[in-house]
This record gives sequence, structure tokens and C-alpha cells, in this order.
Amino acid sequence: MKTRALNYLRYAVLALGLMFFILPVASAIEFSLRSYGNKGHNLSNYQWIFQQDDFFTNLGISLKLAIVAALLTLITVVPAVTFLHLEGARYKRVFEFLAILPLVVPVVSLAIGAQKAMPTFIQNSQYELAFFYVVIAIPYTFQSLNVGLSSIPLKTLVEASRSLGASFTRTVLSVIIPAIRGSINSALFLAITLSFGEFTLTSLLHWETFPVWITRASQGNVLGSIALSMFSLIGAWVLLIGVQTAQNWKGIKLKKSAPEISKEEEVLV
Amino acid sequence: MSQQVQATARKGGGFALIMKGLPLAPFSAIFLFFFCWPIFQIFRNSLSEGKGHYGLSAYRLMFTKPYMHAFSVSLQLSFFSALSAGIIGAIVAFYVYRASSGLRSGIAMLSGVLANSGGVPLAFMFIAAFGAQGGIVTMLKKLGFDIYAHGFTLYSLTGLILVYSFFQIPLMLLVFTPALQGLRNEWHEASNSLGAGNFQFIRWVLIPVLFPAFLASTLLLFASAFSAFATARALTGGSVGLVPLVIGSLIDGNITTNQANLGDALAVGMVVVSAVVMGFYGFSLKWARR
Repeated sequence: MKTRALNYLRYAVLALGLMFFILPVASAIEFSLRSYGNKGHNLSNYQWIFQQDDFFTNLGISLKLAIVAALLTLITVVPAVTFLHLEGARYKRVFEFLAILPLVVPVVSLAIGAQKAMPTFIQNSQYELAFFYVVIAIPYTFQSLNVGLSSIPLKTLVEASRSLGASFTRTVLSVIIPAIRGSINSALFLAITLSFGEFTLTSLLHWETFPVWITRASQGNVLGSIALSMFSLIGAWVLLIGVQTAQNWKGIKLKKSAPEISKEEEVLV
Repeated sequence: MSQQVQATARKGGGFALIMKGLPLAPFSAIFLFFFCWPIFQIFRNSLSEGKGHYGLSAYRLMFTKPYMHAFSVSLQLSFFSALSAGIIGAIVAFYVYRASSGLRSGIAMLSGVLANSGGVPLAFMFIAAFGAQGGIVTMLKKLGFDIYAHGFTLYSLTGLILVYSFFQIPLMLLVFTPALQGLRNEWHEASNSLGAGNFQFIRWVLIPVLFPAFLASTLLLFASAFSAFATARALTGGSVGLVPLVIGSLIDGNITTNQANLGDALAVGMVVVSAVVMGFYGFSLKWARR
């Protein structure tokens, strides 16, 4: 009896919690379908989004910067964490501490420093943002790689490859990279999503990207701004859920084929 | 085994050289130039009084009433939003963690997605739902309850706490749930067999065991609310004078000459507060792991 009551209570709490998240979303969607002059509900506000020239321009800029930030993460954070796991155990503590710091310093503070510290030729280029995005994302990308690499016997694999006479390049290309590919993917995905949504630093440095444009576009059109917000929120949710589901699915597949992998490893060693 | 690798590394010249630390160089370079250097600059500028003179005038200005008020408002917002989202999140986490694994992973995924949805769009979503003409407000009005007539407004501290809870409760679920996995069913049985009721179990076992993790998670929420900027800016447009918004308006050029380095001083102030909170976070995390 008691457990059943607890079960009901559990579902009640869960339902209440879900309501808290669903109601505002549903209510905002309803709002975004309203039309000016109380002419009922329609899609006109969503049509308005696509009629804006700046919509595609800024979407493009944000995508470009996010991809550059991901590439920068690939050539800075990935080698660093890999090295710390292979040879640099001495420095691991120090770098783990450093990697938390961008979370400790509020982005607003970083922005005011960036505005004064960067030389003009950097401030004149939009790509400065990509470098800052990399830094802002470091607490997440570093940690995700760090956790991912801890679960792989990377050192053993490299030792095996070296003792079998593989060159450095060969070891990197056909042992290290395939082994840590999953961790790299999730770190890059984090870098992309964080860069794409970054608003604080971007707006304070007076650049226009997609999130900054949303604020500007909304000043003249309240209903349009809500449609635009719901469009970008739901778009982001769908994308994030899609990627996570794909990852989980891959994880399940990997787990199922796990015995085979361990056999291969035995052969390898 | 690692000695063996070092031996092989020493033999293979190129490998050894590359492994000496070159892979740390690009990371260190970006970190130094795009993080340490700007942060150093705000510290330096906050102490600068122009023409090569250094002094505390910016800090003296910071410690005057309007800016202390901004810090007080920011701290209140962080405290109340962290506390409310922390308590609600902890309760929800407690009811969720023993659900079926499918439901659990679904909720974990949703939390991960929602915890990251801050920013301007979130502010607009709440304007559409809880603004004066918002859907939920009109609905409640039809039910005979006009929340705006009872002193609620979205563009206030209470409103901000409501909006922040939309990403803070999921964040709490994410960071607090792992702590629950350390709980053992036997503890409940043991306390039952010693004659303790449910209330006593919660009061004398559950709360003391979970408190460090709760504290750590809540401090994380505190820090995230303290430095949040986009949502507050879009929602209140500056009518609630939070420190990040004051810094933002200083950057945007609403500056008189004697405030030249005030922004830097405020930025340092935020770093200090945030560092203290994260320091406590580190301690309570260690405490929780014991």
C-alpha cells in the first residue's frame, strides 16, 4: 500500500514538474500565433521571420563562428587533454584547475577586459569572437574530453602501437584518434551549441550574430519577436534531443557489441 | 609500464620531442591571450587613475550606495533563485531517481536540454506567457485570479526568479541526481528496524547525508544566476539594477569621466564574489565526496 501511494505521489510530482515547463511553452506558442488586430490565430508571425533579410545573414554568421570555434577547440583543447592523459599526468591537476576558471569569471567581466585588452586588428575582426567562444566553452569541452578519455585505456593502446613499431603519425592517426573519436565529437558539439547561443560577450563587443539580431529584430514587432524566440528555442531543443538520442542509440549499439571489442583487444595485446 | 613508454619515447626522437609538451602549447596560447590577458587588464584598469597613476578611486566609487545596491540586488536574485530552484529540483530529483530507467534517461536528457536554454529567447517566451497580456495570465484572469492585480509583475526580481527557475531546476536535477545514487535502501530498512518513522528517517539520515551535495549544487546555481546577463537584460531592460546590467550599460558608453574605470572595478567585484562562491562550491564538493 505504502509503495503504491509513493508511486502516485511520484507521478503527481512529475506531472506538476512537467506542467511547469510545458505551460509557458504552450502559452508562448499560442501567443506567437496571434495576429495584430485580433484577427484570430495564423502563421503570419512565422512568415515575417523568413521575410527578414538579416535572418539568413545572421544565421550564417553564427554558424560560421560556431564552426570556427569547434575547429579551434579541435586543435587546442583536444591535443592538450590527450597529452595530459598520455604523458602529462604531472600537469593534469594544474590544467584541470585552469579549465574551471572561465566558469568562475563571469562573461560580463571577460567582455569588459576583452574590450580594453585586445589590439585593434583583433577587435576589427569578427573572428575574435570564435576565440572567446573557445575560452568560454573550455570548462565544458575540457571536462567532457577529460571524462571521456578516462574511460579508455589510451595509454595501453599507445604503448601497444609503439611497441609494434608504429611511427608517431601512425599512432596518432590510426590509434589515438579512432579511440577518442566519440569524446571529440561530444566536445565539438558542446563548443558549437555554446558558441551559437552566446549573447553576452557578443553584444557587449558590439557584434551582430543570430542571438543579438533576435533582440534587435524584436524591437519593432512584439508578436514577431515571440515567434522568432519560439522558433529558435524549439529549433535548438529538437536539434539537441536529436543529437543526444543518436548518441544514446550508438551507445546501446556499442554496448551490445562490447564482447567482440574485448576479443579484438585481446588479439591486439 | 610508464617507464617503458618513457624509454621508448626517449629512443624515438621525434615522438619524445612532441610528447615533451608541445600539445599543450596551442591551448596555453589561447588561454593566456584570450582569457588571462583580458582578466589581468580589468584588474590593472580598475586600479588605474589615468596618466600612469594608480589608486583606489574606482573602488571608492564602487563602494557608494548605487553600486552596493546593485550588488545587493544581484546577490538577492542569486540567493532566492538558487534556493527555490535548489529545493524544488532536489524534491523532483528524489521522486525521479527511482523511476524506470527509460523515464529517468528521458528526464536526464530533457534536463540537459532545458538547463542550456537561457538567453534572450527564454525571456521573450516568458513575456508571452506571464506578461500582462500573456496566455497564462489571461487564463488565470478568466479563472478569477488576476495576478497582476495582486502585485505580480514579470519585470521584477520575482519575475526574474520565475524565469531563471526554468533553466535552474533542470540544472539542479542534472547536478544533484548523481548524489542520490549513493543512497542505499538498507539505510531506510535499518532506520525502520530501529523504530524510526519516515519523518525521522528524512530528518536524521537523508538530510544530513545529502546536505553537502545539496549545498554544492545550490552554490553552482547561485554562481550561474549571479553571472547571467542575457535573460535579465532582455526581460527588464535595466529596470532591475543587477551588477552585470550596470557593467553592460557602462560598456555601452553611458559614462561620465569620473566613472572611467568603474566598469573594471565592478567586473573585479563580480570576479571576487564568483570566486568566493566557487571556492565554497569546491569545498562542499569535497565534503560531499567523503
